[in-house]
Amino acid sequence: MLNRRIALAVTLGLSLSTSLATIALAQAPSGKVTVVTSFSKDVTDPIKKAFEKAVPGVTLEVQNRNTNAGVKYVEETKANNQVDLFWASAPDAFEVLKAKKLLLAYKPKATGIPEKIGSYPINDPQGFYFGFAASGYGIMWNDRYAKANKLPEPKDWQDLAKPAFYDHVSIASPARSGTTHLTVETILQGEGWEKGWRILKEMSGNLRSITERSFGVPEAVNSGQVGVGIVIDFFAFSAQASGFPVKFVYPTVTTVVPANVGIIANPPNKAAAEAFIEFLLSPTGQEVLLDPGIRRLPVNPAVYAKAGADYPNPFTDPRFQKMIGFDVDKSEARTAVVDTLFDQLISFQLDALKGVTKTLHEVDAALAKKPNAQAKALADEARTLIAALPITQVQAGSAELRGAFTGAKEKGARQAEIESQWASFARDNYAKAKAKAEEALKAAK
Amino acid sequence: MTVVPSLTPPRARRIAATPGQIALALAIAAFLLMFLVLPVATVIYVAFTEKGTSTFTLVNFYDFFRTELFMRSLWNSFYVSAMSVVWASVFALPLAYLTTRFVFRGAAIVQTLGFLPLIMPPFVGAVAMQLFFGRNGSVNLLLDDWFGFKIDFMEGLNGVIFVQSIHYFPFILINLSAALRNVDRAMEEAAQNLGSSGFRLFRRIVFPLAMPGYLAGASLVFVKVFDDLATPLLLNVKDMLAPQAYLRVTSIGIADPMGYVISVVLIVASVAAMWLSARALKGRDYATTQRGGGGLAKRVMTPWEAVLGYGVVILILALVLAPHLGLLLLSFATIWSFSPLPDGFTVAHYARVFGESSVYIKNTLIYASLAGGIDIVLGVAIAYLVLRTKLIGREWLDWMATAALAIPGVVLGIGYLRTFYGVTLPDGTPLASLWITIVLALAIRRLPYALRACYAALQQISVSLEEAAENLGATKSRTVRRIVVPLMAGGILAGFVTSFSTAAVELSATLMLVQSNSDAPLAYGLYVFMQSAAGRGPGAALGIVAVILVAACTFLSHLIIERSQKAKGLGH
Amino acid sequence: MNAPVSLTTPAVSVDIEGVNLSYGSNHVLRDVNLAIEPGEFFAFLGPSGCGKTTLLRLIAGFNHADTGRVAIGGQDISSLPPWKRDVGMVFQSYALWPHMSVRRNVAFGLEERGVKRAEIDRRVEAALGLVGLGHLAERRPSQLSGGQQQRVAVARTVAVEPKVLLLDEPLSNLDAKMRVQVRRELRELQQRLGLTTIFVTHDQEEANSICDRIAVMNDGIVQQVGTPMELYERPANLFVAGFLGTANILKGRVIGSGAERCFEIEGGVKFPIGDGAAVPDGAALVFRPQHASLVEPAGSQEGALSLPCIIANREFLGASVRYGARIGSAEVAVDMPFQSGRELFEVGSEARLKLAQGALHWLSA
Repeated sequence: MLNRRIALAVTLGLSLSTSLATIALAQAPSGKVTVVTSFSKDVTDPIKKAFEKAVPGVTLEVQNRNTNAGVKYVEETKANNQVDLFWASAPDAFEVLKAKKLLLAYKPKATGIPEKIGSYPINDPQGFYFGFAASGYGIMWNDRYAKANKLPEPKDWQDLAKPAFYDHVSIASPARSGTTHLTVETILQGEGWEKGWRILKEMSGNLRSITERSFGVPEAVNSGQVGVGIVIDFFAFSAQASGFPVKFVYPTVTTVVPANVGIIANPPNKAAAEAFIEFLLSPTGQEVLLDPGIRRLPVNPAVYAKAGADYPNPFTDPRFQKMIGFDVDKSEARTAVVDTLFDQLISFQLDALKGVTKTLHEVDAALAKKPNAQAKALADEARTLIAALPITQVQAGSAELRGAFTGAKEKGARQAEIESQWASFARDNYAKAKAKAEEALKAAK
Repeated sequence: MTVVPSLTPPRARRIAATPGQIALALAIAAFLLMFLVLPVATVIYVAFTEKGTSTFTLVNFYDFFRTELFMRSLWNSFYVSAMSVVWASVFALPLAYLTTRFVFRGAAIVQTLGFLPLIMPPFVGAVAMQLFFGRNGSVNLLLDDWFGFKIDFMEGLNGVIFVQSIHYFPFILINLSAALRNVDRAMEEAAQNLGSSGFRLFRRIVFPLAMPGYLAGASLVFVKVFDDLATPLLLNVKDMLAPQAYLRVTSIGIADPMGYVISVVLIVASVAAMWLSARALKGRDYATTQRGGGGLAKRVMTPWEAVLGYGVVILILALVLAPHLGLLLLSFATIWSFSPLPDGFTVAHYARVFGESSVYIKNTLIYASLAGGIDIVLGVAIAYLVLRTKLIGREWLDWMATAALAIPGVVLGIGYLRTFYGVTLPDGTPLASLWITIVLALAIRRLPYALRACYAALQQISVSLEEAAENLGATKSRTVRRIVVPLMAGGILAGFVTSFSTAAVELSATLMLVQSNSDAPLAYGLYVFMQSAAGRGPGAALGIVAVILVAACTFLSHLIIERSQKAKGLGH
Repeated sequence: MNAPVSLTTPAVSVDIEGVNLSYGSNHVLRDVNLAIEPGEFFAFLGPSGCGKTTLLRLIAGFNHADTGRVAIGGQDISSLPPWKRDVGMVFQSYALWPHMSVRRNVAFGLEERGVKRAEIDRRVEAALGLVGLGHLAERRPSQLSGGQQQRVAVARTVAVEPKVLLLDEPLSNLDAKMRVQVRRELRELQQRLGLTTIFVTHDQEEANSICDRIAVMNDGIVQQVGTPMELYERPANLFVAGFLGTANILKGRVIGSGAERCFEIEGGVKFPIGDGAAVPDGAALVFRPQHASLVEPAGSQEGALSLPCIIANREFLGASVRYGARIGSAEVAVDMPFQSGRELFEVGSEARLKLAQGALHWLSA
């Protein structure tokens, strides 16, 4: 029964795509359209319902996979593709698909959508994927937890490096979470390579955990296992909508980035895929995003008229105007390097990093009571050691390093070799920093 | 007339292979090659190739052993696995001992409840455990309130050991209980007659005789913990081997051989552990059921013993079932955040689950029963070929099937996509998009469980029982059908239940292979729910539904085991 | 079996008094009373299901009587658990633990009793020496032959110097030749140790050949207790007569009186019995095959009871020849010593059955 349905859809899709190549969208779309997405049921269900109502005769088939697995899946099945659309947050994932020629270009007909949101272009300039909702990155915390542990309200990334937050912060691994990767890259681009890493490491010294899934962070904050999380805004908004005692803030250095949708190359049901994109960008589709369970920022400014007064509006809210521009090309070029650096310098050395950070917090506390120049100098030396990087920004973007991480065909350094070097670099520096910090603590007391 | 146990060890009594057995062995080998070796090989061959040139090399393994992180991970994995076996034994031994050795009211319930931890649904199980035992879980919040301290149940390696031993101890419980039931009563009476009793008797005689079952369970726990990636990752422990492999294969390491190198190391380590446990039992004739049944005598407990016994059982069950209790609370909770108990209760989550997810439940039952069925057929066949024939290379079937334990689900999933997506049915549908692929993947992933159970069951059956049947004119295949399989029934059922129930909550391989919502099993539904704050309650509700469903099936099969055991016991 | 003996303990008596045991409506033991003398080699003999193994397990503590008591050396042990009774039992299946070497098997009971290591070693050596298996101490049970396993089982039991030795069909898993050898060894061992021993068997030859006294059991009831010869010579009832050795049992009734008094069996054949013997009501005529003899039809009719018969069959048994002789509708077994050169009766030929008056018994069922 089911196989026949698939078969039907496939044959239908194939005939459609060949005949429609020339007459694009002359006929009404019908049949099944398959979308691979990282969005949760709370997001996909209302949209599916609205879409199927708006475009009768089309069924939206949702395959839920996390972003990385989704990319992998599309790649592995390209020989006999059965998927029409890819629908996810992280623009990087679309860049990867695009680079592998797994996306199909399209020009949406929807109107009223500006070029940019904040300073970020909404659509791919080459027309391979399209922003349909915006999201910003920020800090989310559990109110009950904060009260119980007497945490101050954080306002900016640097706040999270303060002693008060020691062992209270959580982040997803940027290698695992497209959105966290964007957060890290935003900090690096906004603050600069050296300073950005320094902030990241100082903040990471306070980390409670580095989770493997994006949702692991809001989950931990929601349940109160961790106090503060670095998350994408809608995680916080939808948690609030569900009634969890959580709060959220956009830091000054952040960006709004569109969540995207794109058509997979050689789609079985191209007409319906296009219809879905048009729906998402239409006012009806955009309005669905205001649903409390979804709470994304629509890319059509007109839609905000229907939102509540307290709904953040990136097109009018001055906070968003100050936000930095985000260089996608730069980010894409060094994705693997940045993620690996984060893993090797922070994730896999977390205990060592936390050890030094704790001692440094103690030094600060001692210094606050009784200033001591020698102790301060030693502590600064320790901080410099922690902040040190094994590679420069230029190296990070170099083709040679990229090759090591992307399985380039030419012979070169192996990923494992480089990782091993970075890991020992971090280990040695943290050990030295720890020694300095201990010395400083002795001097301060 | 003579029933003389011969001088030669049982090994030499094996009979040469018949053509039927050879055909069977070849068929199984073909199945395993097709659905296990080939798909996995398409993924992990990268581990043996040089970067850029794709020529064969071992340099990647050199890198592995030189990298501090991997060495640390390897050691941590060994440590955690070994400690998990220790703690799992601590949980399992009293339950197995009390329920098989005493007239214990509710033994079937205890066995079923003791089995539940194995069906801890992904994601929700971990969330529930955090809510109870986490740093700010109920227990610690209360401890902090009352006494001003907290216990790090869920932190670091110890947290992994805690969760894993709770999660996997049923493997020991199931196998050990089955083995205990099979020990010949005279073995125990002889010891009593010589002055041994109580726990000493258990330690010196009964337990060693049930050793094949215990080792089968313990080696499963070891390998399973060694290869499990979900629990460490959910507890944010990354410096273990399986999480390292997973993180690399699914993220920045996609093109890097190291993830696959780790997979190879995992596979080798798992097979080695299984081989060691097999070796430890080699050459010992443990066929203690000489009368074709007739297990241990069950003793009536004195009132004091009863108090102690029930106390211990309740304590252990409370601990190992805490995650399920947490899950139950969560499924009825409105908001549960940083408080010992939820803010309020509702049944809305169940309404949502029954409204949306009945298709998941139906699919799960179908997939898991089919997978379990395939597993016991293969399990009995492989166990028989290995233990009862002299086919050359028969152990390879065992090792191959066992190796499946060590293959990360995601590797198998990708392998299936690669191998079977190119193969299309006449109408153009890829083979990999049919739901039967999910069943096959589940069957392969869970085959080792069923195989170990069948293996242990067959090991305890004296060869002479089969010889007697052959002597009376039964062919080999009829002997298997009429004598071996009925005698193995308990073990087979245990194998089926294990395969079935763990397949019912399996996620990693299915996630990669699910092609449409209407084909998706329950674990996928859970995954989808657990991606949002609003889905936590319904996710927990779906988890509870899964647990109840599987528990009902398990309870039923325990009743069947008990009944058949009783029926056999009446024979003399 | 010439090892120095150091495993002797003073022999004790075993007394079983008024024991009843039933499983539901199934009466397994009915009012069993037995007094077993110190140092006696005693057998429970009977067909399977007669309750003999149950009775043995009751002494060992594995079964519990509904009423009655078991005393060893005058001390009531009914309420003691098996491990405190100090009675050694050799199991039918031997129940050797496959995960232990022979030495460890034998040492087990001593270890359980907290005996010192050096003493254990000494006594294990002695016990294994006693059964002649000292050289196989490091083997595993699965590497031994059936006879060897049996001896290990015995050694394991006697090593703890039990007060009483219980043997549950210890020879049933051995082949015929081994059985004869091992039973002799068991007897020698028992005599050397002076150990009160109870032996359960269904084989009368086994019981007769090595036991001092036998309790014949059937249907949970002790039918008769006595030495093998007493039981053979003076069976108390038809069951005992039929179970021990071969007996010709002829049912019938007494007719006539005085010198004309006869015992008429089915088919009308009459055994003249005169007025000497008292015959209980409903009793059957019983005699052993070797107490009858066959003579030529024309032979002497003097001095003994003599009846015409026809040879129905003939079996050669080595030392003797067993004839089936038909008298009327009954057939009786008659054993004649075999002497080479002497002519045998042919099947179908006529003969006369001769019976000494003293060989006839009348027994009730």
